[in-house]
Amino acid sequence: METEATLAQVDVSDLELVKQCQAGQTEAFDELVSRYRTRVFAMIYNMVHNEQDAWDLAQESFVKAWKSINRFRRHSSFYTWVYRIVMNVTIDWLRKKQIKGAGSEFDDSIQLKEIDPASRTVPKAEPLPHERMERNEIRAKIDNAIGQLSPEHRAVILMKEIEDMQYHEIAETLGCSIGTVMSRLFYARKKLQNLLRDVYENI
Amino acid sequence: MKTFEQKWTAWLDGQLSGKELVNFEASLPDKAAAEAERRAAKKLGALLKEQLGAQALTNEEFFSHQLRERIGRETASQDRHGGRSTWWTVRRLAWSGAASLAAFVICAVFVLRDRNPGEQSQYLTQILNARVDPAVSPNATISMFETKEDKVTVLWVEGLQSLPADYAAK
Repeated sequence: METEATLAQVDVSDLELVKQCQAGQTEAFDELVSRYRTRVFAMIYNMVHNEQDAWDLAQESFVKAWKSINRFRRHSSFYTWVYRIVMNVTIDWLRKKQIKGAGSEFDDSIQLKEIDPASRTVPKAEPLPHERMERNEIRAKIDNAIGQLSPEHRAVILMKEIEDMQYHEIAETLGCSIGTVMSRLFYARKKLQNLLRDVYENI
Repeated sequence: MKTFEQKWTAWLDGQLSGKELVNFEASLPDKAAAEAERRAAKKLGALLKEQLGAQALTNEEFFSHQLRERIGRETASQDRHGGRSTWWTVRRLAWSGAASLAAFVICAVFVLRDRNPGEQSQYLTQILNARVDPAVSPNATISMFETKEDKVTVLWVEGLQSLPADYAAK
C-alpha cells in the first residue's frame, strides 16, 4: 500500500525509485522502465536500424539493469547509468554482428518501409504518398550514412545530436575521456557531413 | 592540452569561451569557411534530430509486461538454482565426510591387524636390527626357526664377529 502511494506521486525522483528497487520493490523498477523505455528503444533503434533487434536489446538492457541495480551507487543519474548498460549491450551486439558479417545491416530498414502495414490500414493523418516516399528515402540515406560509422562513433553522435547529452555525460556513459568524446564527434560529423551534404543542403 | 579536433568540436558546440575562444578563432586560416562549416554542422544536427528523434516504441505496455515476465522468470530460476546449489554442496560435503571416515577406519583395521606386536620379543627385534647394520657384522647371516604351537624360536647366527653387550640376553 505504501509503495502504491509513493509511486502514485508524480514527483518521485529516479534516485528515490532506485532506492526502492534496491530494497527489492519491483514496482519501482517498473516505473523507471516506463519513464525510459521509449528513449532507450529509440536510441538502440537508431544504432541497429531494426525494430525487433532494438526491442530485444532494450529488454536485455533493462534485465541487466535490474540484476545490477544493487551495485548502482547513485553517484550519477539513473539515466546515465542505464544508458551505459544500454550502450555496452548494443555496441557488443554490433561488434559481434560485424564479426559474423551476416548480410547488410540495412536490409531490415528497407523491409520495414516496404512492408509497413500501417500505411494500408491507417491512411488518415499519414503524409501523402510522395511525401512519405521522400521521407523514407531521406531516412534510408541517414541510416546508411550512420551505418558507415563505427559503433563507438555512432553512439557519440546520437547521444550528442539526438539526446543533447553533455560531453561528460557521454564520456561517463561510454567509459572514455571527454577528449575522446570530442575527437569521435569531430570524425563522426565530418563523415556524416560528407555523406549527407546533399540531403541537409536541400531541405 | 586539446588537439585541433577537440577544439574544433568544442567551438562548433559553443563550448569554447574566453581566451581559449579568442585564440582558437585567431588560429583559423579562413574564418568565413569555418563559419560555413559550423552552419553545415548545425544543419546536420537538425536533420538527425528531425529524422531520428521520433522513433516511437509501439506497444509500450506489452514491452513492460514482457520485461516483468522475464525478470520474474530469471529471478525464480536464480533462486531455484541457488537453493539447489547450496543443498548440493551440503550433501556433497556429507558424502565426502562419510567416505573419508570409512576409508580411515578400513586402513586403521588393516594396519592394526598386521602389526600384532606381542608375537616378537624385544630380544629378537634387537638381533634383526643388528643384521641389517653392515658396520657391525658385514658377513653375518641369521636364520630364524619358529614353532608357534610350542612358542619356541631358534635363531641360527653365522659370521657374527661380535655381539654388543647391549644385545646380551636379559
